[in-house]
Amino acid sequence: MSSQSHRLASGGLIDRSTPMNFTFDGKPMTGYAGDTLASALVANGVRLVGRSFKYHRPRGILTAGSEEPNALVELRSGARREPNTKATTAELYDGLEAASQNRWPSLRHDFLSVNQLASPIFVAGFYYKTFMWPAALWEKLYEPLIRRAAGLGRAAEAPDPDSYEKAWAHCDVLVAGGGPTGLAAALAAGRTGARVILCDEGTQFGGRLLSDGGEIDSMPSGEWAAKALAELEALPNVRIMARTTVTGVYDGGVHSALERVSDHLPVPPAHTPRQRLWRIVARRSVVAAGAIERPIVFPGNDVPGVMTASAMRTYISRYAATPARRIALFTNNDDGWKTVEAALAAGLAVAAVVDSRAEISAAQRETARGAGFAILNGAVDRVDGGKDGIGSISVALAGGARATVEADGLAVSGGWNPALALTSYHRGRPKWRNDIAAFVPDSPPPGMHAAGAANGSFGLAACLADGHAAGASAASDLGFSKSAGKASSAADAPETPLSPVWHVAGKGKAFVDYQNDVTASDIELSAREGFQSVEHLKRYTTLGMATDQGKTSNVSGLAIMAAVTGRSIPETGTTIYRPPYVPTSMGALAGTNRGEHFHATRLTPSHHWAEEQGAVFVDTGLWKRAQWYPRAGEKDWLESVTREVRTVRSGVGFCDVSTLGKIDVHGPDAGAFLDRVYINTFSTLAVGKARYGLMLREDGMVYDDGTTSRLAEDHYFLTTTTAKAGPVMQHLEFCRQVLFPELDVQLTSVSDQWAQFSIAGPKVRDLLREIVDPEEDLSNEGFPFMGVREVALRGGIRARLFRISFSGEMAFEISVPARFGDALVRNLMRAGEPFGIIPYGTEALGVMRVEKGHVAGPELNGTTTAGDLGLGKMMSSKKDYIGRTMAGRDALTAPDRQVVVGIRPTDKARRLRSGAHLIPMGEMPEPSTDHGYVTSVCFSPMLDQWIGLGLLARGRDRIGEVMRAHDPLRGEDYDVEICNPVFYDPEGGRQRG
Amino acid sequence: MAELSWVATAPLSHVLKPGHHGAETGGSGVAYTGLSDFALVQVMARRGKASALAKAAKAHFGVAAPLKPKAVAAGGSLLIWSGPDQFLALSPRDGLASPLASLAGPLAGAASLSDQSDARALIRIAGPRARDVLAKFCSLDLDASVFPVGTAAATSVDHTAVTLWRGEDTAGGAATFNLLVFTSFAESLWHMMLDAGAAYGIEVGEASYGV
Repeated sequence: MSSQSHRLASGGLIDRSTPMNFTFDGKPMTGYAGDTLASALVANGVRLVGRSFKYHRPRGILTAGSEEPNALVELRSGARREPNTKATTAELYDGLEAASQNRWPSLRHDFLSVNQLASPIFVAGFYYKTFMWPAALWEKLYEPLIRRAAGLGRAAEAPDPDSYEKAWAHCDVLVAGGGPTGLAAALAAGRTGARVILCDEGTQFGGRLLSDGGEIDSMPSGEWAAKALAELEALPNVRIMARTTVTGVYDGGVHSALERVSDHLPVPPAHTPRQRLWRIVARRSVVAAGAIERPIVFPGNDVPGVMTASAMRTYISRYAATPARRIALFTNNDDGWKTVEAALAAGLAVAAVVDSRAEISAAQRETARGAGFAILNGAVDRVDGGKDGIGSISVALAGGARATVEADGLAVSGGWNPALALTSYHRGRPKWRNDIAAFVPDSPPPGMHAAGAANGSFGLAACLADGHAAGASAASDLGFSKSAGKASSAADAPETPLSPVWHVAGKGKAFVDYQNDVTASDIELSAREGFQSVEHLKRYTTLGMATDQGKTSNVSGLAIMAAVTGRSIPETGTTIYRPPYVPTSMGALAGTNRGEHFHATRLTPSHHWAEEQGAVFVDTGLWKRAQWYPRAGEKDWLESVTREVRTVRSGVGFCDVSTLGKIDVHGPDAGAFLDRVYINTFSTLAVGKARYGLMLREDGMVYDDGTTSRLAEDHYFLTTTTAKAGPVMQHLEFCRQVLFPELDVQLTSVSDQWAQFSIAGPKVRDLLREIVDPEEDLSNEGFPFMGVREVALRGGIRARLFRISFSGEMAFEISVPARFGDALVRNLMRAGEPFGIIPYGTEALGVMRVEKGHVAGPELNGTTTAGDLGLGKMMSSKKDYIGRTMAGRDALTAPDRQVVVGIRPTDKARRLRSGAHLIPMGEMPEPSTDHGYVTSVCFSPMLDQWIGLGLLARGRDRIGEVMRAHDPLRGEDYDVEICNPVFYDPEGGRQRG
Repeated sequence: MAELSWVATAPLSHVLKPGHHGAETGGSGVAYTGLSDFALVQVMARRGKASALAKAAKAHFGVAAPLKPKAVAAGGSLLIWSGPDQFLALSPRDGLASPLASLAGPLAGAASLSDQSDARALIRIAGPRARDVLAKFCSLDLDASVFPVGTAAATSVDHTAVTLWRGEDTAGGAATFNLLVFTSFAESLWHMMLDAGAAYGIEVGEASYGV
């Protein structure tokens, strides 16, 4: 067990009474509660944590936050393995397992680090230039090779065992970020009574206060933060969300936020998700996301041991862990000096401060004198070292002389970039501020305001004042007039201005984007090759395109581009950001919608009964429908389906058709309304009668079909196909409300109100006499074909009976209120037993409709007209209806249109498959000889062979023609005969009885 | 002749298991009650008859039907706004009688009526964590300050249409929400709701509406 050799004896915000064991690359180590994985690694003296993406360079920890580009690990193992996890934000837990990635065979001896030797060829645009030809090799050779060599971590190979969920929240003011600015904003808004949500991505609130200390309202800043949090917790209108990153903002004030509910635990507790994706609807938002310190680009700036200055003091002060024993600082601003103070306070040695500014304050000189280190006016232009850390630091002094600094840690501060991503998600382009050499937010989304460091106000006093003002004005904007209370105050020491240093030239690789291995020379190359716009730069070099989205690299990269092309930074421009702010797992995005819960499921009234029968179900949209009912001894689906068809055609069977859309059409103008939406006439339909109807789209193509019955003068009952139930309801509502508001008609979906079954077969009347009250006349005269009426059933309930047939057999549809659907099927089975009744599924339903030549989904495919479907005669010439004019276009009435025909293989034993193309005999299959295709097929038990329907050019003139069915997808080619689409009982005698 | 038996099946009867579900929290954060035996009628004003319907409804129910997204108690019925010039009338079921029969006369000529009694399942979610549960599948702001008792909404849950209204608080002062969901979706949504509430501990029960 490692001894935490780099842990200070005291101090820090860690809980030393709670030690935690963890492993890194299998090596056991310990840390404390309150550590991140990164701080625990630092405490254990680990410098080398990963290999870089392209060159496999040894890399250490660069930052202490969500901007980390280097310290990415595989966290956990097995099904929970999580690649590319930032060690800097992963909270330590007992039993944590982490592994370095992108190395083989081991982190210390990585074979592919030879890539560095070949680096001249791995420059920007390498892939574009190298892997251009032949294209066929991309999929087979280049891509797999590149992926193996340049992959990041490995994803888990088993399904994620944890759960995820989504939730909504609503507030007046959302505050993103819980540092001094965010706390001040939340307090100001919360005190007015506004509903406030305060989010911070960390576990503890306080932001930089946790690392930098200071005084607020004359008390230590940590005490102030605790007091502020306590006040917020006591306010019932304030909700505090830790471990929650606001990741995006969308229309209408909807913000996305990722809550890492259980990521700090080995396994989520029972009933608790790993992560929760919030959608927070906020009327106003305050972005208090702080700022990100930027590294300076110089050769060797990626050697393990080189860190941002703020990160180094975070490890020292907040975590009492020492990244180095003897540190040097390279800075261009006063803030960097805070790291020197933190190091000295912790008893560490300071080797030197390299400051690019000539002007050094008296206080800083005094610090140097007291601690005995040199202040070098100049710039670090090379760090030597490698996997074992820093060897030496070379400094180019301002006067031209050189110096060498001996240190095992180098803190670097190139200034701060406001974390403004959220403000640019609606395309607000940040603007440049010369005084702080950084971009600040401009034109943020409506209702959003950036404050504090996120707005370029870096001092503590400024943050507190800015945060308070932002919170107070957001609340008062919304009419909350109670006092926002007094703003907290702090004293900011006077600062010597920053002097920008972006890139220090020298020999060796100088990294801009650590995660994608983009160097300063790549940017120079991009400029030379003409990719000078920031958008081109980004895509050509991949700058900022890694999982960290360039949080530490974008601004430096474009500053270098500006310098190379002789433009100012504002002239060069900046890219903007896209959500999410931090990588978001697919699990969180999916929430509970995974596996069988991918979408909601609809069940038919007979579902549970069908389950008892062992039915095989098929997903039809959201519905589960019984596809067939296998019986013992049946060897496959075909045998079951064939039995079901034969039984219906010779006896009786029933099928649940409750999935059809059902719409009540009410009102004095219901008939006139239907005349306008159907191609045929319904106003003349007698009460007690049903009629088949066809609807067109505005463009003249067929939209949907179904039977509609007239139940009363002012009441029709319309049915749609299962697939179009929702769209047809929408279409009809549109017609009613927008197109024909003058008609007195009302529509109600009653799809779920009725359990509806088709009962078909020559013995259907025998069965119905067992079910229906004996008083009801079911004879051909008493209940003719297409008749409809309400009937009494034996035992007291009432039903609607429709004499309609889809199977071609003598058939009725019966519907009862849905709560009696289950009872009805059980009664049908009981009463039908003497007649050999069976249930049949959608497959048998489909076979019988193909045998009868009825069109369905495959033929109503959005490209067919009524004429194509053989239903042209239904198009009334005596009235107007939707689609009528467009249906008369030349192309839609052309004689060579593909129309519905029947198809059967000339070899009776041959299986027909849908999708096969119809080619004239003797022709080569090619687009010009492709005359049509097979749309629907089935094995017909009545014809004892495979048959099908198809769409064929001039099909009705080609009955009897033998054609080639060409099926390149399945590699089949065979002869078929074109025939009448009605294969079975073409006279229709069976259904009319 | 075979004996016929007409046992009604409530939409949730296969999945509703009374008792405690989810986390053992020592109490119940939330209670789910499946309500059955209700009659539900969709009432839609005929063209130009909105005021006639309002008058007729007032005369029949004794209270004005809601013109805004509200649920209004009217004797034994509850009138729930469902859109401009339309509402749902919810009442206890009267045996096998069609619920349209009692309304057809009083509202004749002014409204079109559709029986929806079998088209919906009614689920009541109540308790101190009711809002936390609903926040997982309902995008509406249900805070007391914006969604007081009696507020109704036509909204969507898991991509399906749901009518939701806030009922009277429980005796313990906790919020109560009622959801009318489509029958064919009921089981699916019920499972989703059980998942959503499991962390708080759920007391599942069933009852006849209005009893």
